[in-house]
Amino acid sequence: MSSLKAEDFIERSPLYPLQQGARLATLAHSSIVARYGEKEEHALLQRCALIDLSNLPRVGFRGSDSAAYLQARGYCLPEQPNQAVRQQDGCLVARLSQSEYLLLGSLHDLGARIAVEESRWEQDDQRNYLLPRQDSHAWLQLTGNRSAEVMAKLCGVDLRARAFASGAVAQTSAARINVIVINAGSQALPALQILCDRASVQYFWGALLDAMDEFGGGPVGIDALLD
Amino acid sequence: MKILTCPLNGPRNISEFTYGGEFKRMPDPARCSDLEWADYVFNSDNAAGVVVEWWLHNASSYWFLAERHTVSDQVLRTFDPKEVFDRRIDFAAPATIPEIAG
Repeated sequence: MSSLKAEDFIERSPLYPLQQGARLATLAHSSIVARYGEKEEHALLQRCALIDLSNLPRVGFRGSDSAAYLQARGYCLPEQPNQAVRQQDGCLVARLSQSEYLLLGSLHDLGARIAVEESRWEQDDQRNYLLPRQDSHAWLQLTGNRSAEVMAKLCGVDLRARAFASGAVAQTSAARINVIVINAGSQALPALQILCDRASVQYFWGALLDAMDEFGGGPVGIDALLD
Repeated sequence: MKILTCPLNGPRNISEFTYGGEFKRMPDPARCSDLEWADYVFNSDNAAGVVVEWWLHNASSYWFLAERHTVSDQVLRTFDPKEVFDRRIDFAAPATIPEIAG
């Protein structure tokens, strides 16, 4: 596993140049950071940690028939815009407007279910249009009990748990770029899923790490999440 | 920082929004005169008083309408365009294609 290199894969995270020296794991047709070093990462995960999930599949659907299409595919949908629902298999469905949905893959199946949704979609007479999100957005996860304090330095929206409960979605600006923030945390592990413009993610990654510094935060790999 | 209330996303910093111009009813391009069309495309009323304007919430690419007093800069109301665009409009094709001069 330690001999894997991001350069061995055509599909790479836009952050891969910043992840040199990290131990990688295979993820379908790409790689993902398993751990950044020999240091213990679980404690960091609980306090303040940043995870790059950019290679995990995600996709969107929009249209007046999208809700019926996704329900027929077995998804449980949020009742209101700007809410998200965790599915039984771990993937996440966020509703971004009256008729737009964003599907985020789960680490448990390495995003396989969501990747299938993107590949099987075909245009027919239904008003249900595919929104490819793999190359438009990068996907980061900010975990730990200091997440809201970190975001307060970058973002005007109150993301503390009492104002931004689990399942809430905010489409807003953080560090001056557009982001989608989803509270996908649990009692066991507070977590914000953050999607931002893929071409800007090296800047955003640096801005987040800088904001996390005062809380002793840092990047972690997915091993800490999966163990 | 001014706060604008987005009908979809709630109150947000004004820096998250982009102004989209005055709201104007589009004349039927197949039936209106060139003068009417040019007026729709190029001219603005720039009225002093309560106007209806297009605004975009950048982060969600969501267009909505706002009633704003241009003198006091007070936003009276923001609302989803569905309040105005409540049915589908199909424009009839022109009977003959007009000759383009020049």
